[in-house]
Amino acid sequence: MMILRESIVMKIHYGTALGAVFLTVIHILMRMTQDFHESLQYENVIANYQMIGYAIMLELLLILISVHGFNGLRVILLEMRQGPTYEKAVTYGCIASMAILIAYGSRTIIMTSMGMV
Amino acid sequence: MEKENKAKEGIKGWINPAKYGKFGIERFAWILMRITGLGLLAYFIGHIYETSHILDGKAVWDASLEMTQTTEGHIFLAIVIGMCVYHTGNGIRLMLGQMGYGLGKPGRPDYPYKPKSLNMKGKACIYATIGVAALAMWYGMAVMFG
Repeated sequence: MMILRESIVMKIHYGTALGAVFLTVIHILMRMTQDFHESLQYENVIANYQMIGYAIMLELLLILISVHGFNGLRVILLEMRQGPTYEKAVTYGCIASMAILIAYGSRTIIMTSMGMV
Repeated sequence: MEKENKAKEGIKGWINPAKYGKFGIERFAWILMRITGLGLLAYFIGHIYETSHILDGKAVWDASLEMTQTTEGHIFLAIVIGMCVYHTGNGIRLMLGQMGYGLGKPGRPDYPYKPKSLNMKGKACIYATIGVAALAMWYGMAVMFG
């Protein structure tokens, strides 16, 4: 299996952070296009998901935050304790959790944007 | 088999703001970065779960939305806004620091051995980030309670 150097992982960490900030601002601005409470009404949210550009943006945001968040968790856990077995368990655990979260979030985005609700 | 090398203090050392003698704002910023990171990850997982309720129809969506439409829900979201702004601002400061900006010129370590990287610029950025996070929380509250 290819092992990424920690310097590369940190570049990915910073890149995903900047990307996530940019897309989160757009995500929040979408709530500001109308009254905050109104924008969260069922019909409005469905309409948001069915805009293909916005759905793609949500998918990207999901991936960026998941990668950044679980890599951050991995870094925190490795700061607290070290050792080959522990480090492997933490790394694979974080990758698996990240994959599960991305899959679960993608299911919502894909099904809603395709009108399967 | 070689014994695993462990950070002996673990989480106790991690949350102690005065670990290196006295309380420092840089150490506080470091702790806050980790706490806000963990908080935001927990919120993100909850947010993904909450938004998945849209697949269960309008009634379930409205019921799950009602949880955040209370005073406690608004305060919780305001805290999330604060964590998000702090984590972003402090993250940008750290990225700039790792690129070498704002660290000062390297020099001979003389008594009292104050690290040049922990200078007023860094401290000011930390205080400004906390201030901006507080302002964002206030604005978020104004919108939500609006």
